[in-house]
Amino acid sequence: MSNRTLPRLLQSPAVLLLLVWMLVPLSMTLYFSFIRYVLNNLRRPEWTTPALSNWRGFGNYEFVLKSKDFLFAIQNSLLIVCSILFLTVILGVLIAVLINKSFPGQGIVRVLLISPFFVMPAVNAVLWINMILDPVLGLQGIAVAGLNEMVAGLREMPVLGGFFSLWPEFNPISFRATQTSAYAVIIMVTWQWTPFAILIFMTSLQSEDQQQKEAAILDGASTWSQFRFLTLPHLGRPIAIVVMIQAIFHLSLYAEIEIVSRGNGNKNLPYLIGEFANNNIGAASATGIFAVILANIVAIFLLRMIGKTLME
Amino acid sequence: MAIVAQNSKYGQTGRTILAWAVGLLFFFPIFWLVLTSFKTDADAVKPEFLFFFTPTLENYTNMTENYDYWRFATNSVITSVFATIFALAVGIPCAYAMAFNPSRATKDVLMWMLSTKMLPAAAVLYPMTFLTKSLGLFDTHFMVIIVLCLINLPIVVWMLFTYFKEIPKEIIEAGQMDGVNTWGEIKEILIPLAWGGIASTALLCFIFCWNEAYWTVRLTTTDAATLSKLIEGNRAPEGLFFGRLSAVSAAAVGPIIVLGWFCQKQLVQGLSFGAVK
Amino acid sequence: MGRIVLENVTKSFGETQVIPPLDLTIEDGEFAVFVGPSGCGKSTLLRVIAGLEDCTSGKVFIDGEDMTQISPSKRGLAMVFQSYALYPHMTVRKNIAFPMRMAGMPEDEQNKRIEAAAASLNLTDYLDRKPGQLSGGQRQRVAIGRAIVRDPSAFLFDEPLSNLDAALRVGMRLEITEMHERMKTTMIYVTHDQVEAMTMANKIVVLQAGVIEQVGSPLELYHKPRNKFVAGFIGSPKMNLIEGAEAAKHDAHTIGIRPEHIEVSTTEGLWQGSVGVAERLGSDTFIHIHGVDGCDPMTVRASGDVEVRHGDTIYLTPDATQIHKFGADGLRME
Repeated sequence: MSNRTLPRLLQSPAVLLLLVWMLVPLSMTLYFSFIRYVLNNLRRPEWTTPALSNWRGFGNYEFVLKSKDFLFAIQNSLLIVCSILFLTVILGVLIAVLINKSFPGQGIVRVLLISPFFVMPAVNAVLWINMILDPVLGLQGIAVAGLNEMVAGLREMPVLGGFFSLWPEFNPISFRATQTSAYAVIIMVTWQWTPFAILIFMTSLQSEDQQQKEAAILDGASTWSQFRFLTLPHLGRPIAIVVMIQAIFHLSLYAEIEIVSRGNGNKNLPYLIGEFANNNIGAASATGIFAVILANIVAIFLLRMIGKTLME
Repeated sequence: MAIVAQNSKYGQTGRTILAWAVGLLFFFPIFWLVLTSFKTDADAVKPEFLFFFTPTLENYTNMTENYDYWRFATNSVITSVFATIFALAVGIPCAYAMAFNPSRATKDVLMWMLSTKMLPAAAVLYPMTFLTKSLGLFDTHFMVIIVLCLINLPIVVWMLFTYFKEIPKEIIEAGQMDGVNTWGEIKEILIPLAWGGIASTALLCFIFCWNEAYWTVRLTTTDAATLSKLIEGNRAPEGLFFGRLSAVSAAAVGPIIVLGWFCQKQLVQGLSFGAVK
Repeated sequence: MGRIVLENVTKSFGETQVIPPLDLTIEDGEFAVFVGPSGCGKSTLLRVIAGLEDCTSGKVFIDGEDMTQISPSKRGLAMVFQSYALYPHMTVRKNIAFPMRMAGMPEDEQNKRIEAAAASLNLTDYLDRKPGQLSGGQRQRVAIGRAIVRDPSAFLFDEPLSNLDAALRVGMRLEITEMHERMKTTMIYVTHDQVEAMTMANKIVVLQAGVIEQVGSPLELYHKPRNKFVAGFIGSPKMNLIEGAEAAKHDAHTIGIRPEHIEVSTTEGLWQGSVGVAERLGSDTFIHIHGVDGCDPMTVRASGDVEVRHGDTIYLTPDATQIHKFGADGLRME
């Protein structure tokens, strides 16, 4: 009877919408990636409209692979995502364990801690790069300047002055520079997503078996062994989930990179695509396909890892 | 308890201080943003006015003048609200069917949905721009709503699915025995029972829509531009206008942070897809 | 009216067949109990009758009408679930009214029926509470009330008492039996507890692995179990099954003797053994005896308090008229 058809009918709008949303633009990207397609070209105006006659085969892919930015963008994507994952998990576990047991003001501290998660990425970037990390006007600049002033003051001292005069002048770090802009992104995203990790770990800690803990205490386990052998294994699943969800979000980081340095010295794949898309749609599409492949590799890996636990 | 109590006299105090320190540290940037928003642009960059300054509401009162804040905010509200409503309208029946009439494909469909979320948006940037422009939908509320709805749909379905799964199947079956049709089941039983879950799903979807900064920036120019676009378009070069930028930023994130405070517990369960309880 | 006939019904989940072809008739007004160990398919069978599961093949008739393809609500059956499945967001009154509201019954008729049901189930004072504020037994009554008001042709109960504590269980057992006596409506009741089956049913259906092992009245099953499985399942403590030389004396592969049909003596008897644990219930003593050839331990039910201690030698004599004989295929031999 209708036992099978009705559920399908109810699911179909969502499934169809997502299917269209995924397939239509993606197949266009695939098509564009095999043709010469640029937005402006005075010498070859025929390239400015997508057509099969402009077939380029794997030319766009070769072009992208040979471009110096591509490998850099992949490395940078991985650097950013992996660093953020590493930092958020470590910080998340430590802070979650720290605030798990009740203490005065626990509720307030929790509210304080969770807040960054809800900050709009654009605001996050603007806030950090301008008001905190800016080498002159941000807090960093002000702090470094203050420190230098203090050291300068100490040099005037009669006896110890000689010691302090050996100290160098401190230089603020410019986080917009080529080498450092990735770190700025890592810092701000870590700040935003550690609360998420804390929240999940804390919830998980609350379901930890207290009797098991008490048994361990009676067995003479130290605080460290309790953490190492009971708490950490208990957190395995939430850690996997935190890793997966963050990977989903961070592989497509964009606003932060755009705002910090306009991709200067700090591109990831989405940003590179955006740059190509200013003119060379063919190359942008080929990069897009690479990004899809990379995302699929990550997705398969992650879904394999935790797919089963999710369905239970 | 006695064993724990031995080393906990100083430990307790130390932990409390440390916990508060960490909490304040994490909150500090937000505090700083709000604090700066009460300084004039000139004061905001002067080290001597770091914490002590004459507060002013000027930045907030001038928000409309300087940034046309309300237009962007209205767009954010409209697009986020409607995207959330559509996502729920499509997501609830889907999650209902998956939770109570699972087939062998259900698991794969759910996983596939999640994997669409992993597709990098940038990969389809140009086709999307091309399509929206050729359909005449560029910079329209409609397009932003559709896109926001679709990018959040997988998460919405997942969250709802985990909430619905917690409803005992027997209650739905009792409804079937009692003679409700599918629509009645959703309206009379499912929605009242999963109300909390649906509300927090809606809230999270709304938050994600509000904060979305890829498509809203790229598929709009002015008419349908949201707060993300406003902020991204006005990142101050080298410290100019810190005060007013802070005010508009604070006004963009404030409501969402407060919303988030109220539903943090439900969010965890939903966001971790029910795997963490 | 409520005569339910299953014809050649099978049920498979994917590749696994949980119910091989099965025929069963439940007459109008009968109290039928499906009993069997967990996983035997008794709940599935009930759900097939209810229409909550499709049967893979075969037909379900209710009052002569083929209901196989009809949706659950149109079969005219009411079901009481193990977890009660009350709607937690509705008051007791609304819970009971729900099926009538869905059927579009006029409001005053609804109220009349609710009042009547509440009165007979002692729920009148609780009509405006929500299920969360009720005790287990009260929730159970609400679930029954919700079933009664529909005036169904048959009631289906899916292990309804298993979430109650022991004392309440006995009370509810009596109430449901009483209700059946009063209403004379067909009831199908699923349980894994053979005591419930024995005390409530007029017809017991013993199931194992989806197969009906025996259908009959409680005493039929007690006195004439069709095979070893039924013999072991019905009756408490379990029937002692003896194999080997002792069985061969009766020309059987296995003989069975119930604990209450064995005479105990400290001086003489047919079999000899040593006392293991003696469980004293006051009215009876269950003695577990080791060392009897072909059956270890053997359980004996002696009435009153018997003076035995662990390790005592004890002599047993079975009541020869009460010996059940089973062949090598496990079936009863006459």
